[in-house]
Amino acid sequence: MGVIGYGLGVIGAGLGIGLAAYGATTSMARQPEVQGRLFTVFILGSAFVEALALIGFVVTLIA
Amino acid sequence: MNPLELLEEEMDELVESFASTAIHGDLVVGLTQYTFWLAVATVVLLVLVFAFKNKQAKNGLVPKGRFVNGVEFLVEYCRDDLCKGLLGDTWRKHFPFIASIFFFILVNNIIGVIPGCKPGTGCIGTTAALACVSFVYFIVVGVRSKGVIGYIKSLAPAGVSFPMNALVWVIEVFSTFLRLVTLAVRLFCNLFAGHVVMGTFAILASLFFMPLLQSISPESLGLAGASVFWIAILLVIYAVELLVAAIQAYVFTLLSAVYIQLAEAEEH
Repeated sequence: MGVIGYGLGVIGAGLGIGLAAYGATTSMARQPEVQGRLFTVFILGSAFVEALALIGFVVTLIA
Repeated sequence: MNPLELLEEEMDELVESFASTAIHGDLVVGLTQYTFWLAVATVVLLVLVFAFKNKQAKNGLVPKGRFVNGVEFLVEYCRDDLCKGLLGDTWRKHFPFIASIFFFILVNNIIGVIPGCKPGTGCIGTTAALACVSFVYFIVVGVRSKGVIGYIKSLAPAGVSFPMNALVWVIEVFSTFLRLVTLAVRLFCNLFAGHVVMGTFAILASLFFMPLLQSISPESLGLAGASVFWIAILLVIYAVELLVAAIQAYVFTLLSAVYIQLAEAEEH
């Protein structure tokens, strides 16, 4: 049951990282000069999203 | 015999092995496996720093060789990207704090990825302590630059009328304390989850290889082939974990820098 819950929760995280990568690639294609700064922001955003998925994973294992 | 039947039992054992156990004394006063590796990482970091200092003193200020150049690259990356890029003019004051947090977490994470070692940051106690240090630091910075009353007031944005103002302030105070939790949990969960996933594939590889040791038959040879496949996945995940070790150190430091910058920022 916990595994199913984790699967449901990870949908949101997957969508979030996908959206972040989509935004980063489109803006890099439009304006290659800001690549460095965009990469920082992209990593930061993905880390926020990924943390949620990982909390789900750890809670699944512990509970 | 299906090797997957044994997986669940082995998984429970794996997850249990990640809990803190005292190897000397007890859990209150003593040494757990995580604190042991934390101490090892600290020693490694100290040795690296002194080796770097010695080599630099010998060769003069022009960097020579891979080791000196590598360390200088990391320090400069930390200085330019994390400090100058985010903090602006006051970067010089905060650089020692930011750099020590970055290198401490980086060395801990990378030692944890080496097979047989454990990450000092793979336990919630360590990451919570690190998050507390960062939390106290940015609050002290905020209080120093604005005064106690000024800092408390500055949590709510200026230019919002009275009733909304109070509501926004309460939410901001809540989110400030939430930073403490998210900083700690993010680092811990990344390390813990990464090691559980690596451990799972290692267990799968050994479980699928076991039948071959008992009897050589076409079936057990097939399972051994699957075991090679698991090892290939394990290697890929190992590479990803190396990346995660660096990225998590980066993210923790970046967020600390962002919080310091927010605490220090002038009202617009």
